[in-house]
Amino acid sequence: MKYISTLFLLAFFCAALYIPKVTYAQRAAVSSPTPTLEATAESDSATASATVIEKVEPTEAMRPDLTQKSKESVEPLKRLLEEQELGSIYINPVKYAIRAAVDAGVPPNTIVLLLLLPGVATLIAAARHLVGLRGFGIFLPAALAVTFIATGPVVGIGLFLLIVIVSTFSRIVLRRTKIKLQYLPRMAIILLFVVMGILALLFTAPLINSMALVNVSIFPVLILVLLAEDFSKVQLGKSASVAINLTTETLILSLISYVFLTLKMVQELALLRPELWLISIFAIDITLGKYSGLRVMEYIRFRKLISK
Amino acid sequence: MKTSELLGLNARAKLFSYPFNKPLGKKAAKSKIFTKKLLRKAGVSVPEIYAKFKSPLDVMSFDWENLPDAFALKPSKGLGGEGIVVVKKRTRDPVGPSEKLKTAWITIQKKRVTIDDLKLHVLDILEGAYSMGNVPDASYIEEYVGRHKAFRRYAYRGTPDVRVIVFNKVPVMAMLRLPTKESGGRSNLHQGAIGVGVDMATGITTRAFWRGEYIHFKPGTKRKLHGIKIPQWTSILETAVMGGLATDLGYYGADVVLHPEKGPMILELNYQPGLSIQLANAAGLRKRLERVEDLQVRDASHGVKIAKALFISNFSDRVKAEEGVKILSALEEVKIKGRNGQRVKVIAKLDTGAWRTSISRDIAEKMGLLEIDNILWSKKFKSALGEEARPVVNLVLWLSGRKIVTPASVAKRMSLKYPLIIGRKNLKGFLVDPDIREREKELKK
Repeated sequence: MKYISTLFLLAFFCAALYIPKVTYAQRAAVSSPTPTLEATAESDSATASATVIEKVEPTEAMRPDLTQKSKESVEPLKRLLEEQELGSIYINPVKYAIRAAVDAGVPPNTIVLLLLLPGVATLIAAARHLVGLRGFGIFLPAALAVTFIATGPVVGIGLFLLIVIVSTFSRIVLRRTKIKLQYLPRMAIILLFVVMGILALLFTAPLINSMALVNVSIFPVLILVLLAEDFSKVQLGKSASVAINLTTETLILSLISYVFLTLKMVQELALLRPELWLISIFAIDITLGKYSGLRVMEYIRFRKLISK
Repeated sequence: MKTSELLGLNARAKLFSYPFNKPLGKKAAKSKIFTKKLLRKAGVSVPEIYAKFKSPLDVMSFDWENLPDAFALKPSKGLGGEGIVVVKKRTRDPVGPSEKLKTAWITIQKKRVTIDDLKLHVLDILEGAYSMGNVPDASYIEEYVGRHKAFRRYAYRGTPDVRVIVFNKVPVMAMLRLPTKESGGRSNLHQGAIGVGVDMATGITTRAFWRGEYIHFKPGTKRKLHGIKIPQWTSILETAVMGGLATDLGYYGADVVLHPEKGPMILELNYQPGLSIQLANAAGLRKRLERVEDLQVRDASHGVKIAKALFISNFSDRVKAEEGVKILSALEEVKIKGRNGQRVKVIAKLDTGAWRTSISRDIAEKMGLLEIDNILWSKKFKSALGEEARPVVNLVLWLSGRKIVTPASVAKRMSLKYPLIIGRKNLKGFLVDPDIREREKELKK
């Protein structure tokens, strides 16, 4: 167990160290259009950025952000919907409802994300009951996955690791200096340090010229800070290894969920066959809830007994 | 071992912990203060409570100076032994000029704690730093239970305890938990304590499991960890069962500590007990739980009796192997022990076609084996005459010099030629010569 989680953690660190370099390298290659890119606001000058995208390879900063109502995220989905032929209204009521809502102006990316959310929850439930990954409950990995969509996985993990390191560091400092504080003020101080860390990172954005960092909005950051609070809570009460294990598992879960959310195939399935999607998720949930066999991690844990 | 014999987290929650634990029991198990209250009311012995803290005001108004030299400060809803401070002696040695003559204690981790440290720790506990879900908690100070002399050489600093898993009033599996240097004197397995499997019938340890490996000796020494006889074993098991009766729990783990003078005491009850006990015992919990699920158990001592009959460990196989395999005839003269201690010789048939040992009703009645407190459970049999319930009794017999303790079903059949049939279950280490006719003549002489 311990080895596995440390391995994963190492892999994460490597990924966090390695991937930004690649992006920066790509950025260096296309450094000339950067000023125009930075000038583009989210929605109104989407055409400008769209022309840039067509010229250069898509980089991290330019992936369509499903949480934003931008042209890149909405248009392909709208096209998909329009291409679909609706069958009888009695068998396909949800399809008709989606079409009507989108025509009335509800952004289809919101509908897709909403439809995918129970899928992510099911995925996390399956990861717990079939595999044995625990994480911090079901809400946090799901929220983290959506955060990763908003910030991109690299920036997301970077921010997350920063917050975790800062909160751990401030905890150690508080303990070493023997400042004895009550629980809530202590948590408040840790939060203060975390916010200072994020601010410092944002202030470095002009220096390292990172588009992804500049685009970070407040809600993903808030969710990350919340996770850090949970993390610090666990750390203050329990041992560091428990906290690291839990956080690593949460990260793995949210990365899997992120990949799941961004899969074109899954998005199309959910949007174009909503009835089938919802019913099958319900069926999977029921089956998962009834499962009482061993989890994959338990096969590993009890391997000494099973092989005998 | 088959995987279906093992209990996993899914099965623990779905098949045992949820269906067999009532809300009151779960509430009781979650709060150690509440557990203690219920247990004391039911007459189960628990460590004495010196102080309870429910609000910061309690902390400020408490007379800390007059605490005894040794005590344990615990969160009421703590998990996995976190947040517990155990002190063993008081010190008045001044550490610095500012701390001159301040009252302080030395913890089992050999750290110095002052009254201020303790107050701060209690305030942390009240804020919920150690509780599940970090909900506000209460804290208490209880008497320090020292090590029983039987464990003194095996435990590092802290007090070892016995974790007993109880289901349907039957203790199904037990483990001795020995604190180590790594666990900081605490007896929780995931903190580095040693889990030592225990034979349910005798209370003798069988094998030790530590940090993912089976070990023979206490780390860093040459002290064997198997073969330790846990004192007052029956009493420990009965205490564990009584804890569940008092709190209305059906499936739980009881942490029983052996007080040097006052005997077994319950430290806490856990309605979702850990699964590592299976590793320590190299046995599957699910199989044992399913075995006792349908039994009608009258009380604690009945439950313990069933456990001793069912879950006897085969660690004596090693002894048998040294003796060598014995050849027996299909008919053997055995001695049966009666209820009042008398021993009667009968001729038994060694039947390798039967699994369980059975005894005829006449002889069982004559020897007092059908007395209510000797009946383990009843089993329903379908026969041509309809359904009949056959009692299964506890039987002690000597076969070719070996003592065998086993559950035996009582057969009503009048035509039973031999009053006792010994099944395969009790024939380990024997070879059976099937010739009956010659032997019959021989025995008649």
